[in-house]
Amino acid sequence: MRDLLSPILAATTPDSAMTWLGETIREQETAFQKRPFYYAFSGVSRHFDKRGHIEVSDEQLQALQEKVPGFSVKGWDQFRLARVILLLTLGKQDKATFLETIAALLNTADLREQAAIYSAFPLLPHQEDLIEAAIDGLRSNIIDIFDSIALQNPFPATHFTVEAWNQMVLKAIFISRPIYKIVGIESRGNAELSAAVSYLAHERWAASRKLTPEAWRNCADHVTDEIVADLEHLLNEGDQVDHEAAALVIVRDGSDRVRHLQERIEADLDAISGGSLTWERLGEKLEFPATLNGSPAKA
Amino acid sequence: MRFFDSHVHMVSRTTDDYQRMAAAGVTAIVEPSFWQGQPRTEVGTFKDYFNSLIGFERFRASQFGIKHYCTIGLNPKEANNEKLAEAVMELLPLYICKEGVVGIGEIGFDDQTKAEEKYLRWQAQLALEADLPIQIHTPHRDKKAGTIRTMDVLEDVGVDPGKVIIDHNNEETVKAVLDRGYWAAFTIYPHTKLGNQRMVEVMMEYGAERIVVDSAADWGISDPLAVPKTAALMKERGITLEQIEQVTYFNPLAAYGQSGQVSEEDWAGSAGIDPTALFEGNTLLRGGMDIETAMSQYLIE
Repeated sequence: MRDLLSPILAATTPDSAMTWLGETIREQETAFQKRPFYYAFSGVSRHFDKRGHIEVSDEQLQALQEKVPGFSVKGWDQFRLARVILLLTLGKQDKATFLETIAALLNTADLREQAAIYSAFPLLPHQEDLIEAAIDGLRSNIIDIFDSIALQNPFPATHFTVEAWNQMVLKAIFISRPIYKIVGIESRGNAELSAAVSYLAHERWAASRKLTPEAWRNCADHVTDEIVADLEHLLNEGDQVDHEAAALVIVRDGSDRVRHLQERIEADLDAISGGSLTWERLGEKLEFPATLNGSPAKA
Repeated sequence: MRFFDSHVHMVSRTTDDYQRMAAAGVTAIVEPSFWQGQPRTEVGTFKDYFNSLIGFERFRASQFGIKHYCTIGLNPKEANNEKLAEAVMELLPLYICKEGVVGIGEIGFDDQTKAEEKYLRWQAQLALEADLPIQIHTPHRDKKAGTIRTMDVLEDVGVDPGKVIIDHNNEETVKAVLDRGYWAAFTIYPHTKLGNQRMVEVMMEYGAERIVVDSAADWGISDPLAVPKTAALMKERGITLEQIEQVTYFNPLAAYGQSGQVSEEDWAGSAGIDPTALFEGNTLLRGGMDIETAMSQYLIE
C-alpha cells in the first residue's frame, strides 16, 4: 500500500518533507519505539503544509481500490495522507504493540490526527479489534471526525453489526452528511433502517422541518405501506429534490404498491434510465454545511 | 479591523460569547492551559482537558469563524501537588509538538513555592527543546517580586526573552519586563486585574512596542470582548490606529507566530469589521445580535 500512497503524497509536497518521512519510517521499521513514533505522528504538522491538499489521478484511485475496495484518498490534505503512511509502519508491529499504540494515539489526538487514524482503519491489520474504536469515534459531534469514519471509508460496511450500521447512517442523516459518500449504503440497507428513516421523517415533518432527500435511498429496497405513504407526502409537499428522491425509490421498487404513483414521476423516467438522475447526482446537488447537533451554527 | 485575543479560556464560555466575539472582530484566539477553578485530582482529567483544547474547543471556535490556538502546560497552582505534577509532566511531550500549539503556558508562579519554581524551570527547558514560545502567568500576590523571580529563572535556564510573553502585567511590573526584552501582556479583567482606562495610560507612557492586550476571560466575572472594547477606548482617547492594531493584533501574532504554528493566512478571507462602525457606535457589525448593547459599555473597571 505504501508504494501506492507515497507517490501521491510526494507529488504535492517538498522533497525535504518526504525525506523526513522516509527516514522516520526507516528508523521505526528498524527499531520501533513508541514515543518517537508519537512525536513523528504529531510532527507531521511541522514538515508538511497545513493547508496543502494532495492530488490524485483516476488511475491512482483505481489502483488503490483494486487493493482495498471502497477506499479513497480523494479530498485528503497532506497531513492526513502522511499520517496514514506512518500508520502503515505501525501496522507491521506485533499485535499488542500495535493496539496499544493506536489506543494511545487516539487518546491524545487532535482533530486532524483522529481523522487520519480512522481513515487508516481499512488499511490496517487486526481490524476486528478496531471496531469498537470506530463506533466510539462516530459518537463525536465533530464533523471531520465523523466523516473520516462514515464517508469514503469501507471499514463500517465491512465490520459493523446491523445496529452499529443503522446508528451511523441515522446520525449521518440527522447531522446532514452526504449519504452518497457512505461506502456500502445500498448493500447494507435493511428493513429496520428503512423504518427508522420513515420515523425520523415523521418527526421532522411534525416539526415543520425537512429531511435530507438522500435519506430515502435507505428505503428503496424496503418499501412498505408506510413508505408508500411517505412517498406520497414527498410528491405532494416536497421540493424538486424530494420529488426526485421519491422517483428514484418508485422506479427501484417497481411493484404494484407504487403503481398509482407512476404517472406522477413520468417526467423523471428518462433522466433515471439515462443515468442523469441517480442517487450520486442527487447527492452532489445538495449542500452540506458543518453542523453541530444537527443545527447549523452561525457567526 | 481584526483582533487577536492571545489569552482567553473558552472552555468556560458560552456560544453567545463566541457569537459576540466574532461579531466584534475577534478573529484568532489563544487558549492557555490553566486550572479550572478547583484542583484536579487525577492526571486523566489533565489529559482530557488538553484533548479538549486541541479538539472540541478548536472545533467549537471554528463554527463561529474564529481560529483557536492553545498553549499547553502545567499551571503553577497545581504544580504544588507534586505527585500529580510529575504525572502531568509525563504527558506534556505528547502535546507540545501538535498542530496549533503555539507555546508552553500558562506557567510561572502563584504562591512562589519551591515546587512552582521546579516546574517552571522544567517546562522552560521543554520550551527550549521544542523551540516554542512561553506564556507566563504572573502571581496575583506579591506580583512584582514574582515577576522578577520568573525572569531570573527563565534567564538562568537560557530562554530568549524575545520568545516569552509575560502576562497580567500592571504599572508596577511593565518597566522591568520591557527593559529585559520580554513581551509585556496586559489582561483587561474587571475588578481584579487591570481596567482599560489604566491600559490607555500605560500605552501613553510606554507606546505599543512589545505590548499585548488580552482578556483572560474565564469562569469568573470577566469580559470576552475586553480586547475590542479596549481598542474602542484607545481610539476615543486618541491613540493611533497603528498602535491600537499593534497591541491588539500584530504583536500577539508576532509573539506566538514564533512557534511556526500561527500565521495570518490561517484566517485569510475572514472579513474583519469596519472600525468606524465599531468605534463610533453606529449600526454595528454583522448579525444584528445584542453586540451593539454589549459593545456600548466599553469601559472596563
